[in-house]
Order: sequence, then C-alpha cells, then structure tokens
Amino acid sequence: MAGNPEMNASFEEKSVWIQLVSLVAVLGSYFAIAGLMLSKGVTVIVAYVPLFFVAVVLLVVVLVAGHVVAALASKPEGRDERDRLIGWRAESNSAWILAVGVCAAITGLVASIENVYIAHLLVLSMLLSEVAKNVFQLVYYRRGL
Amino acid sequence: MGIENSIRTLRFHHREMTQQELADRIGVTRQTVNAIEGNKYSPSLEVAFRIAEVFGKPLEEVFQYVAKPG
Repeated sequence: MAGNPEMNASFEEKSVWIQLVSLVAVLGSYFAIAGLMLSKGVTVIVAYVPLFFVAVVLLVVVLVAGHVVAALASKPEGRDERDRLIGWRAESNSAWILAVGVCAAITGLVASIENVYIAHLLVLSMLLSEVAKNVFQLVYYRRGL
Repeated sequence: MGIENSIRTLRFHHREMTQQELADRIGVTRQTVNAIEGNKYSPSLEVAFRIAEVFGKPLEEVFQYVAKPG
C-alpha cells in the first residue's frame, strides 16, 4: 500500500510541543522564584518586574529558537482545517481556567488582598489556561477529534 | 466515529498514490490525510468532495456512514 502509514508529527503539532515545553520551563521557573520571594515576604509588586521582564524575553527567545529548529528539521506546511478545529476545540475546553482566575482576582480585589497576589493569580491562570490548551491540542492530535 | 472511508483502497487503485500526493491535491497536510484514513478525523464537506473528485468517485463510495450499535 502506498504512503507512509506512520502518523509523525506535523509542524503545527511540533509547534504546540514547543509552546508547551517553553511555557512550563520558563514561566514555571518564574513562579518558582516568585514563590520563593513571596514566601520571604516580598510584597512590593515592582520587585517582580525585572524578573517578569526577563521571563517574557526568555520565553520569546526560546519560542523563536524552537520554531526555527523545527522549521529547519522539516518544512512547515501551514495550518489546515484540522489544525484550526483542534485549536478552537482545545481553547473552548481550557478558557474556563482563565475565567476562574479573573473571577478569583476580582474577588481578591474586593477583599483587599495585596496587588502582588492578584497580579500573580492572573498570570498563573493565564499560564494554566495556555498549558491546558496545549495539552488538549496534543491529545486531539494523537487520539483524534 | 460513525464515518468510515475507502481512501486507503482508492489510493492503492490509483497507482499507489501517496498520502502526500493526495494531501497536496486537496490542500491539507499529510497528517490530516492520515487522520482521515484512520477515522480519527471527519473532514469538512469541502475536503470530502475534493477527495471524491481526485478519485473520480461519488462521495458515498469514498465515505460511508456506519450506524453505531444501540
């Protein structure tokens, strides 16, 4: 029978892996350091700005480098209807995490919790929502829709 | 999934057309053709019609609806 029956990863699937690993590694490290700072009583939000800036720059660098390597390894094919459907469905399944984070942040503001905790709650819910989206995408790529 | 297909057989009968060749002709990635063949993804009507057109067959000869038991 013609054709390779193996289901090796498309460029889009590799891209999802790169995003997942980058997010977990870089922002995971950020939260590990920020958690340590919070445990030591650093509650001035400005103290976290340089760390956050470094994390964002590092995230962009890692994402770009990862995609360049993936593009060199195999020619990018572009997104097709399956990639788009997987993206939409994964987003639809994971968006509630960010919504819960925003609601919790609003509740925290009403309860006059310090801004540093509110800010980190929002960033954490964005991270978890994105990680969940990537995981759903990978499951759909492997198990099917 | 309730939709099955004969794409693998049709490719074989069309001079062993590769998944990549079919993918290029219908405008999707090879992985998507693989997922359709393996019944892991039901394509849009547009892609389904394009596949049928490539093989010169009516849609129902390429895709079949199989009712689930119960």
